[in-house]
Amino acid sequence: MARSVIPIGPWHPLQEEPEFFSLTVDGETVVDIDVSIGYNHRGIEKLSERKSFDQSSFVIERICGICSTSHPFAYTRAVEDIIPVEVPDRAKYIRTIVAELERIHSHLLWFGLAGHFLGYNTVYHWVWKLREEILDVCEILTGNRNNYAIFKPGGVRRDFKPDDFPLVLKKIDGIIPTLNRLKKAVLDDPVLHARLKGIGILTKEEAIDYCALGPTSRASGVARDVRKDAPYGAYDRIDWDMIVTENGDVFDKVVVRVLEVYESIKIIKACIRDLPGGEIDLNIKDIPPGEGIGAHEAPRGETFHYVRSDGTNRPARHKVRAPTFMNLPTYKATVIGETISDATIILAAIDPCYCCTERMAVRDVKGKKMYGGQDLVRLSQEKTAKIKREMGIP
Amino acid sequence: MKLPKARELVEAIKALITGPYTSKFPYKPHVPYSSFRGQPKYDPDKCVGCLACEQVCPVEAIGHQDVTEGDEPKRIMFHYTDTCIFCGTCELACIADNQGIKLSNDWELSFFDRKAESFETIEKELQLCEMCGEVIACKDHLRWIVERIGELAFSSPTLYYSKLRELGVVDENIVSALRDSGRSDRFKILCARCRRETTLTTK
Repeated sequence: MARSVIPIGPWHPLQEEPEFFSLTVDGETVVDIDVSIGYNHRGIEKLSERKSFDQSSFVIERICGICSTSHPFAYTRAVEDIIPVEVPDRAKYIRTIVAELERIHSHLLWFGLAGHFLGYNTVYHWVWKLREEILDVCEILTGNRNNYAIFKPGGVRRDFKPDDFPLVLKKIDGIIPTLNRLKKAVLDDPVLHARLKGIGILTKEEAIDYCALGPTSRASGVARDVRKDAPYGAYDRIDWDMIVTENGDVFDKVVVRVLEVYESIKIIKACIRDLPGGEIDLNIKDIPPGEGIGAHEAPRGETFHYVRSDGTNRPARHKVRAPTFMNLPTYKATVIGETISDATIILAAIDPCYCCTERMAVRDVKGKKMYGGQDLVRLSQEKTAKIKREMGIP
Repeated sequence: MKLPKARELVEAIKALITGPYTSKFPYKPHVPYSSFRGQPKYDPDKCVGCLACEQVCPVEAIGHQDVTEGDEPKRIMFHYTDTCIFCGTCELACIADNQGIKLSNDWELSFFDRKAESFETIEKELQLCEMCGEVIACKDHLRWIVERIGELAFSSPTLYYSKLRELGVVDENIVSALRDSGRSDRFKILCARCRRETTLTTK
């Protein structure tokens, strides 16, 4: 049978790195995948070298709209590693709270979009409604829904006001009943079991070989989490569990993310309960020459920053490694052998960025037929409908 | 026909009563939480025109222009709302007890003409050197320093005289009559270079 190549990309607007997938398909089945990245050079690292250590955190924050805590968190840890210095306790707790709020809203965003792609638009609407509550909490605590502008080398910029905590706790507790119901509806749904179980499997060995990070690796049974492996912030003072599942398929990736939302809620509530008093900022004036590394467990995996200082007030070199960079190659293991309608969800399963689908273009061998992102969503949703019909579920 | 479950029925009735979750914007104004970081606004009374905000701004959204011609030299401070990222660094760096520039709750900042409407300005009175006309600082800034350092202000004639001028105890006729670029000029408000010249030169 003739093989055709399906190009997806080359620009992936929501992620840190735009990417281009070229899927080689044999009929319906994907037989090969090629990933190229590096299309959109924004010069963030260079820009960061032109700003002072304090100002850089705002550039770093804008690497990714969803990871607007993860990157500054890793960056500030890298700068603090140069000196080295330990931030005050209160700053640690505040950082942890903001980081976990971000994890919740990032996972919820992914969860809702996954529902949309599988044809469960009710899940999409409900989850995004829950996400609004979390974004409200972010606004109450830090002053904005995203781009919190709260991280600075040596501490945090703004203090939390204790008067806000009752409303914050009420909002966070308020999402739990709906989340429980959604979890039950989604994880017990026979159609989703049929649709997601056993597709896009990333085995434990493959996860280790490909150096998968974050929920992608934890769904494959690799217990890898910076928060547990090298605790920072307040993560070592609070009791929480790392969610690890064994199967490595798309369903397990959903399970890991949904359960991590509960862990994040647990961490936030514990942090607010134990929030110590005292200083929030060390007021670092000078950064000595040297090198520093910082890592943070972003919603998608480990974000890694390297900063070198030459004694001036600007970084001499700044290197960023986003988690998606490590997770992308796992497509080689997960997508091959699956159908195109499953490829939509598998490509999305490593990462909560779905804009790739909007940018998809499908061509047949003669190059006349072209599917947009909506056609691929339709293909995916039609498959769910077909499974429903076969199972006799209205 | 499939009968709805009790939970679904409750949900449907609740949705009928409460209406949609989305707000009615733009028919109803959106009120952000009080901690929302909106447009930074200058307080012309509290701001001393020291330019600390301009220095720390990560996106260069704050600028200034010194008008030295004319009878009333002034410093015009600009805040560009189109460049601003609402990070609040200016407020945290403000020397006037974080009151000179403050983040407000305003978020509706759209405008039609970028050249004319994209910025806000305040004007501060400038103190020029009375010999060479060089910009020293804003008058409020000098007063602010005098208040902060107390009796140490007597060690700097520029600070000391700017305070005396404010109190109105300087006889302008006497001071303006001294015009020899020499020792007598030391009783004027001078920039650092002229101060050095009047003190050290043998004129």
